Amino acid sequence: MLIYIVKRIGLAVLIILLAVLALFVMLHSIPGDPVSIALGPRATPEIQAAYAAKMNLDKPLFTQFLIFLGNVLTGDLGTDVFSNRSVAKTLLGQLPYTISLAVASLGWAVALGIPMGCISATKPNGWLDRITGLVSIGTIAVPSFLVSIWAILVFAIHLNIFPVIGAGDQGDLADMALHLVLPSFAVGLGWVGYLARMVRASMLEVMGENYIRSARAFGLTTQTIIYRYALRVAILPTITLIGVGFGGLLSGTVFAEIIFARPGIGKVIYDMVLNRNFPVVQGAVMMTVALYAVVTLASDIIVSILDPRVRESL
Amino acid sequence: MEALLDIHRLSVEFNTARGRVHALRDVSISVPKGKVVGIVGESGSGKSTLVWAVMRLLAGNSIVADGKITFRGEDVLSFDESALREFRGESVSMVFQDPMTSQIPVLDYRRQMTDILYRRKGLSRQEKIRMAARFMNRVGIPDADDRLRHFPHQFSGGMRQRAGIAMALLMDPALLIADEPTTALDVTMEAQIIHLIREAQTDFGATVMVISHNLGLIAELCDKVVVMYAGEVVEQGDVKDIFFNAHHPYTQALLECDPSHDLKQERHFPTIPGDVPDLHGTPKGCVFAQRCRHASDICQYKRPGEYPIAGGHASDAHAARCHRYDPGGVWKELPKSETPKASTRIDVHVERDAPPLLEIKDLRVRFPVMGRVRALASGISDPHVDAVAGVSLAIRTGETLGLVGESGSGKTTLARAVLGLNRVHSGSIRFRKEELVGLPENTYKKMRRDIAMMFQDPVGSLSPRQTVGQLLSEPLIIHGERDLPLRDAAEKLCDMVSLPRNFLSRYPHELSGGQARRVGVARALALSPALVIADEPTAGLDVSVQGEVLNLMIELQALHGLSYLIISHNLPVIRQVSDILAIMYLGRIVEYGACSQVFEKPAHPYSEALVRGTPRPDPSRRRKLVSIEGEVPSLTNRPGGCEFHPRCPYATDRCRKEQPSPTRLVDGRTVLCHFPLAG
Amino acid sequence: MTMDAVGTFRQRPEKLALLLKNKQGMIGFVLVVAFFLSALLAPFLATHDPAQLDIPARLTGPGADHWLGADQLGRDTYSRVLYGGRVALKVAAIGVTLSLVIGLTLGMVAGYGPRWLDNALLLLFDTIRSFPTIVLALAAVSLLGPSLNLILSIVIITSIPSYARLARTSTLALKNTEFIMAERSLGAGTFRILFRHVMPNVIGPLLILAAMDVPVVVTIEAGLSFLGLGVLPPTASWGTILNEGYLVIRTSPWPVVAGGIPLVLTTLGFTLLGEALRDIFDPKLRGIR
Repeated sequence: MLIYIVKRIGLAVLIILLAVLALFVMLHSIPGDPVSIALGPRATPEIQAAYAAKMNLDKPLFTQFLIFLGNVLTGDLGTDVFSNRSVAKTLLGQLPYTISLAVASLGWAVALGIPMGCISATKPNGWLDRITGLVSIGTIAVPSFLVSIWAILVFAIHLNIFPVIGAGDQGDLADMALHLVLPSFAVGLGWVGYLARMVRASMLEVMGENYIRSARAFGLTTQTIIYRYALRVAILPTITLIGVGFGGLLSGTVFAEIIFARPGIGKVIYDMVLNRNFPVVQGAVMMTVALYAVVTLASDIIVSILDPRVRESL
Repeated sequence: MEALLDIHRLSVEFNTARGRVHALRDVSISVPKGKVVGIVGESGSGKSTLVWAVMRLLAGNSIVADGKITFRGEDVLSFDESALREFRGESVSMVFQDPMTSQIPVLDYRRQMTDILYRRKGLSRQEKIRMAARFMNRVGIPDADDRLRHFPHQFSGGMRQRAGIAMALLMDPALLIADEPTTALDVTMEAQIIHLIREAQTDFGATVMVISHNLGLIAELCDKVVVMYAGEVVEQGDVKDIFFNAHHPYTQALLECDPSHDLKQERHFPTIPGDVPDLHGTPKGCVFAQRCRHASDICQYKRPGEYPIAGGHASDAHAARCHRYDPGGVWKELPKSETPKASTRIDVHVERDAPPLLEIKDLRVRFPVMGRVRALASGISDPHVDAVAGVSLAIRTGETLGLVGESGSGKTTLARAVLGLNRVHSGSIRFRKEELVGLPENTYKKMRRDIAMMFQDPVGSLSPRQTVGQLLSEPLIIHGERDLPLRDAAEKLCDMVSLPRNFLSRYPHELSGGQARRVGVARALALSPALVIADEPTAGLDVSVQGEVLNLMIELQALHGLSYLIISHNLPVIRQVSDILAIMYLGRIVEYGACSQVFEKPAHPYSEALVRGTPRPDPSRRRKLVSIEGEVPSLTNRPGGCEFHPRCPYATDRCRKEQPSPTRLVDGRTVLCHFPLAG
Repeated sequence: MTMDAVGTFRQRPEKLALLLKNKQGMIGFVLVVAFFLSALLAPFLATHDPAQLDIPARLTGPGADHWLGADQLGRDTYSRVLYGGRVALKVAAIGVTLSLVIGLTLGMVAGYGPRWLDNALLLLFDTIRSFPTIVLALAAVSLLGPSLNLILSIVIITSIPSYARLARTSTLALKNTEFIMAERSLGAGTFRILFRHVMPNVIGPLLILAAMDVPVVVTIEAGLSFLGLGVLPPTASWGTILNEGYLVIRTSPWPVVAGGIPLVLTTLGFTLLGEALRDIFDPKLRGIR
């Protein structure tokens, strides 16, 4: 178990390192002067020179990478050359907004999707299954950014029920929660259907396994068989899926933050892309990569706790 | 005799895309209290459907069309959900065929067993755990408290099945149903499980129903036997009546086909020609008529009733579903058609003095068992096991060497190493005096014309998306014989293994096991090799089909002067076909010598256990004791001294300390034992 | 034994007949065909030139002349939606095909090849996957500026890992099967084994994944174009229609509704078709109903 976790963490670190390398390569493999590309046309020569010195662009490429890597590992994501503020600080201030949105969306999706999947799988092709099937297909079919747009259309313009702009008053938890409703709905909606389909499919697969039939032959109650045996196994691929699909969820939060004008990493990236402020974009990308690595790590560890077979693999 | 379970005229049908399948027809069986009833039949006989019908766990597309199932006077088919729950587990319990897939992988045994005890409301959790531990001990699992925290994948196959039996006995069921309980296990384990079931039956006073295709197991275990064929009961009666006085032609043929039935080395196997009939639609006449050597006109159109046979052993009426026993019938024996002559021993010319065709010397094959990080963390410096640990053997032209061993003995690894499919660690493999070890693939390729391999799974060893025609011509294409008229070559191969030519356009999944095996044989022989390595050539085949394949292999051997290396755990088969026998244990050959000698007077205690451990289809010769205890140890944990000592009934101090070296006996055998039992 | 006995009764059903019987699958099939036809036949189906301005009609709702209304410049939304479908089809067809082919090849190589290569490729896939698609796309756009080719490249790069992993898992499972061993024992070369014996057994689930992947790809294009970082106006794409409609959302809801519906229908179609195909062809799920 311990060995598994240690190896898994090692893998996560390795992937983050490779991601950093990939970003570095991306930046340096682009034809043209890295300074003007990185800073965009708005940068003055002074800023460009400062940037070149800052980024050690005068040194050999490999040295540059090592310095870059060292900085990233010590949490130094560089300095925003336009505002002269630390990128890491800027981003860390935004991180809680993104995380709370992601967690709220996922919370929604899990709370609705998993029970829906279970209900469907209990009586496949029954009327409840058909209804949940239609609902989940419906939710999958509408991409999250479209949900955001349409939610604004319906709730902000026509009904005016939920607040649609910003994250609410700092410190006013109720207001912040209220501001979270629509964005998290938009991000999580597709996941409801996705999870419901996933749980249904793996439940049905598990229900066909020999050990479910033997549990029935031992006269265990339907409750035990479905919720303690089948769900216990069927949930494993779902947890892995949540981990892997978290990247997609982060893509969704980017759209939600932009459309609902919420603060967050996604909004920062978007604004900085428009400003062509690459150092900040780069820092933000690295932060999402790290976030994704942490979430997949967590999902893998949860699976390994629930499934003894996994611990002995890797 | 009071019947605990009574099945009366049961018919079960399945709805499929191609119409209705009559899986069970008019099946009547009574299971007397306190007895062991065996249901025997080949695949497609409906024996498993019968079990699931009794448990009310049939697949969703099935219908009980007719009949009644009565348990202790209650109608099982009318049970509601709660009555069913009580019936299952409380009154009836099951031991399953494959313990690996029938035990939930993510819960430990403690949880699984306390879950089964959920009905015992009066018991505290601690008491339930103690009870579970007691039952684990009872079925021969030591350190039960500790073992209860294990998960199924951490147990060996035999232990899993023991745990499965413990789970089945936990609720003290009145009826225990065992569905192919030993099919997934090795010979020595099989004997132990049979013993365990018999013990459980006497100790718990349970009634047992055993489902099996293994005649030996049925003879060894049962009081009453029911023979099924194509969804019908064709004969039933006391075990002695069935084995010594079989009346139905199918039962007779089945008993004849069992290779352990015959102890002489005949090199010819009886078979039942033909296939199990298609059960779509209602068949007219007798289900066995198409394959029956006695069949008369009446058999083709009139379904026989179940007629009593006079003079049966007391306990149960002996009856057979055959027109020949209809007291008021109009049976006319037809003039006997030519039955294939038995005992046409085919002799193969073996060049005794010639140098061996294949010579293996001190071969070692190693596998890594864990990653380097894990090994480092566990403090293991050498994370390898020797799957084959210094094996030497030789095969001459025209000779058959039988390689016997249980799973994990390294026999398949050895065979694959010869073909360069596993990397050899050290030692030499010489074919026609040429060294194969270390040969690069492009040089090796030429050798592959002369050494062919037949793999274990008849269907699974054929590429699933290729037609039989493509499969048969592929060896020729690979070896550059593109100019040959491939179609002709494939047809010739079909003829050689007597497979109809229209099979060339079929896909593997459309073939029966026997047909697929024929394709395998044809593919192996496509390039006219000198040596054929056959890995479990009869695995997955019914006994009535086994014979066809073996006969074919023997005929082709005589015709082409082939040498065989046959790997099997099936001793009766090996005995009939081999000249030389090599018995493997933990990657070493423990006994090596002439086949007949080894079978007559085994010199190694392990050989003795194997030879005597195979259940025989002879109810009068029931063994009292299991010959060897325990299981094959894991390769990562080889015992010190003689590696067989923990399981050897004759082990001494010397065996525990000192590793034996190969000893040559006067009759020419080699034995890896300090105290050989013979010679 | 049990499963075998039952299995022999379940003959391989006529797959196509099953698809025709599957109601959801048929709806999906029809929507998918509609998507292809409307994109291919856009010039014939359109009532207006998508770039033609009709200032008097600007921001009008659906009517006899402009079936789905007109946008802020008076361009016909119906025609623009049709032409937008061409962009979506192009991205979907090129993106999905290339990622399928590359992913399949890399996956088979990883699964069948030596252990180190497998580990290296897995690491590569995991690294790619740790960049959320949109975030990576934004980063790339900030360096290179928006373009359709950039979107395509990002889509392909980020989709490859899922195809490759699926192909790798199946290949790995096949690697030690007896029929592959049998081919090796006959002396079949690696190339022959991979493309003749492994590929036909691996590609099925990948095709199903491809069907389910089309909506993802189309959504990425639409999403980026909506943000103004993909296809740029005045080219008609579902994303640009939404982008321009979003600016006038308080005046007229029609552009954001009309630009969104084809996206929903396409997603719906491919999802339904993909799920139906999976239910019919994936042996793991067969035998449940």
